[in-house]
Amino acid sequence: DGPSVFWKLSMWGNPRALSAGMEELSKVVAEETGGKFQIKIFYGGQLSPARENLDALVVNGFEGAAICNFYHPGKNPAWMVFSLPFLPLGDPKVDKYVRSKMFEHPAIVADMERWNAIPYVSGLLPQYEILGKGKPPAELNDWQGKRVRAGGGLGSAMEKLGAVKQTLPAGETSIAFQRGALDAAAFPYTYAHVAFKINEEAEWFTSNLAPGTSECGWVFNKTSYDALPPQYQKLLMDNRDLVMDIEQAAYATQDEKNLPEFEKTMTKVTYSDEQLAEFREIAGKPVWDEWIAANKYKFDSQGVFDAIWQYAEEAKAAQ
Amino acid sequence: MQTSASKATGLARASRSLAKVEDLANLLAAAAIFLLMVLGVVQIVGRTIFNAPVHGYIDLVELSMAGMAFLGAAYCQRLGAHIRMELLIGRFHGRTLWLLEIFGTLVGLGILGVLIWYGGQHFWRSYTLGDTTIDAEFPVWPSKLLVPMAFSLWFLRLLIQLWGSVRLAINPAAQPVGVAMIKDAAEHAQDEMHEAMGDDAPDAGTSDGEGRS
Amino acid sequence: MILGIGFADPLLVGLIALSLLLLLVLLGVRVVFAASTVGLLGLVELLGWSGAAGIVGTVPHSKSSTYALSVLPMFIFIGFLAFHAGMTRQLFVAARNWLGWLPGGLAVATVLATAGFAAVSGASTATSAVFARVAIPEMLRYGYDRKLAAGVVAAGGTLATLIPPSAIIVIYAIIVEESVGKLLLAGFLPGIFSALVYAAIIVAWAKMRPEQAPSVPASSWRERFTSLPGTFPVVLVVLIIISAIYSGWATPTEAGALGAAVVFVLALLKGTKLTTIRSSLMESAKLTAMIFALIWGVLIFVRFLGFSGIPEAFTSWIVSLDVHPMMIMIMILLAYAVLGMFMDAIGMLLLTLPVVYPAVIALGFDSIWFGIIVVKMAEVCLITPPIGLNCFVVNAVRPDISLPQVFKGITLFFVADVLTIIGLLMFPEIVTFLPDLLS
Ligand code: NA
Ligand code: NA
Repeated sequence: DGPSVFWKLSMWGNPRALSAGMEELSKVVAEETGGKFQIKIFYGGQLSPARENLDALVVNGFEGAAICNFYHPGKNPAWMVFSLPFLPLGDPKVDKYVRSKMFEHPAIVADMERWNAIPYVSGLLPQYEILGKGKPPAELNDWQGKRVRAGGGLGSAMEKLGAVKQTLPAGETSIAFQRGALDAAAFPYTYAHVAFKINEEAEWFTSNLAPGTSECGWVFNKTSYDALPPQYQKLLMDNRDLVMDIEQAAYATQDEKNLPEFEKTMTKVTYSDEQLAEFREIAGKPVWDEWIAANKYKFDSQGVFDAIWQYAEEAKAAQ
Repeated sequence: MQTSASKATGLARASRSLAKVEDLANLLAAAAIFLLMVLGVVQIVGRTIFNAPVHGYIDLVELSMAGMAFLGAAYCQRLGAHIRMELLIGRFHGRTLWLLEIFGTLVGLGILGVLIWYGGQHFWRSYTLGDTTIDAEFPVWPSKLLVPMAFSLWFLRLLIQLWGSVRLAINPAAQPVGVAMIKDAAEHAQDEMHEAMGDDAPDAGTSDGEGRS
Repeated sequence: MILGIGFADPLLVGLIALSLLLLLVLLGVRVVFAASTVGLLGLVELLGWSGAAGIVGTVPHSKSSTYALSVLPMFIFIGFLAFHAGMTRQLFVAARNWLGWLPGGLAVATVLATAGFAAVSGASTATSAVFARVAIPEMLRYGYDRKLAAGVVAAGGTLATLIPPSAIIVIYAIIVEESVGKLLLAGFLPGIFSALVYAAIIVAWAKMRPEQAPSVPASSWRERFTSLPGTFPVVLVVLIIISAIYSGWATPTEAGALGAAVVFVLALLKGTKLTTIRSSLMESAKLTAMIFALIWGVLIFVRFLGFSGIPEAFTSWIVSLDVHPMMIMIMILLAYAVLGMFMDAIGMLLLTLPVVYPAVIALGFDSIWFGIIVVKMAEVCLITPPIGLNCFVVNAVRPDISLPQVFKGITLFFVADVLTIIGLLMFPEIVTFLPDLLS
């Protein structure tokens, strides 16, 4: 037992796979505390737009929020590591292990500390793939001149292949895409492509490019968390696995439904191991090195980068 | 009323000096609008003809929005153009009217004070903790700095109007200086017409006779 | 109890806040100050000072710096330039040459010309002002009834907000997070439909009362064709904006920028003075600052609504009602008609939509369709007493036509607008057809 506590979590957009785990946590926490600890997610940016969630946490506007690293690169420089291309996060089990560990990494924690926030769980966004129109990019050369909507390190990687990086608001993407102002768009695969209706007009999809992902996860207000009685804190921390498992199950359910549909309506582009190796050669290491160099004075960027690989090794060894 | 007459010269002078800054700020906002037009055309041409969109186009547009949104606010206040409902207040005259004007101005000063201080903190966070745009990673702080700056100008204009209203509340018979006069619907319509016709009429609603140069 | 524990009674706080807002607005406090002050006070009640003030301090910048809103200054600039470049007269001449022979032909031509001008202007009142000067003298010269002449100009102006470009539609799109492009496209057919209903009712009226709208001699084909090139700038802007949005080759902001550039170049070619262009820019900046202040001011209040849980409470209440959704829709529209009598259209949308919109969607209505209906309602309010601003504008340009005469002249067009709204309720396809082509 404990005091009555009401937590407001801020999230933009509608309930979706990314929020499914948190909704479950809210149920579990309420049950375990006999309804005394209530967590409510406010959707649609009612409490704050996505890009200002951290600002609202620093002034103690609410108790938690979902954030995406790429919405505000300058606010969470270390978190941008998750947007680098070709990180070894393709296997969901490895992904879960690595990101859980990374959420306790000093640089990742420090990014949030500045905003009076603590990382809670990763949203474990799946790897991006690219859907497009026109000639399927069967060869790496085919990317030359293609206009691709892709941001962060992933956008840089596509540029190394000669693609033209195009930025568009997510809501306008499908229209520009369908009508030929855009050749291809990268989104978390498969659910976000469907959410933005890219699949309805696209003619091909890459199935194993896995050029990278991003980090959208949940963070708590540090002041509010510290003020919780220890048993509530423990309850939250003990259920991190549950939140992540539900998220991953939600993505998998989406894939199960979407993949057959993709294969029916679009050309599937699958790259050979040689092609992927070449892509990584061109667009992997150079982008990593640029990122490490650009950030080395802000934090231990080399250390953050290396940690991802080290944790991935651990996860693979454990399997 | 000698004192009130001498006050009014000081007030009129203060109002005119501030008006110069307001005109300049609004001109900067106007320039931002013009540049937005140019940037849009460059973006279309660059993208469709040369397959080379402007680097960070959306980010540039978003950063420049603050200029358009805020720099004209004080100018707008001087001309009495910020929307309000004049159905009731328009029926009052003399001291009651000026007391209501004082009340409305005080509300404005209060909220602008909060917004200047906390908008300033919002800027300060982006300056000290770091904040960049989503795509090209331009720093956001210059854009956020415009809020406390433009609002401070607006705050000063409200102070002038407060001064003008207090003076008229004390002596409703005095010549109005430094206040935005209430216009009835017909006068609003007259303004609309002037604007639509592009007449270079002096600014209605400003009683200083200090229309734009 | 919608939120469970946590808040004392959000609905009570909300009710007090709404009353306070109403009081401040009635006392003549500027809407931006009234809304943001009450929003701040409400948040302080819910979150305490530092959280409330901290959040409020982020809203102006965060809500103004969104890409979607950047289309507003472009649309505003196009409108001011178009007035100054004198694009109206040629539109009216062409419309008269082609349609003057109809019963009530000059009035029909005025409707068509205002519809055309709507394609470069988003401002109803300004459109009415311009045509009051261009079209009314012509109609009076041919012996038109003064009331009818004034009414058609006041009503024709309202087409400017439906036919893109339209600031109000953009603002609706942003509040409800719909695609700006889709909504702009959605306004096009209802705008044309409204114009056709106006035209039809004029023709019918002219048949019954020929003395009020005498026929004018038909123009020769030569006259008709030589008047066409004058409409070229407007046609060009329409093509740019509609095709850009429809085909996706440019975002609404880019299309607005290109449209503005075209009007700008044409204005220069026509010999418009640089000082005139500078003053259009200054006016655009002023109007932009005014609209944005309204937007962020009201959105501070809306942020408070978000924390209070009122929108959810309202939605669950509406959905629980045992009434046909269409009945509820009609009630909502009537409420808008009453509000619109007293409020500025943009302020009205900003204040009400965060509460009303989720309920409307929960009832199963289409968000794009609802947006167009609501904008049409706001427009009807511009021609109805007590403060039908378009009527005041016409009266201001033509002081010889008294305000009561203008309002009498509106009756016919008010009937037409009611018919239009019924038409849009019965055939939502008029609204959804074009945007549906996009998906
Ligand atoms: Na329009
Ligand atoms: Na009205």
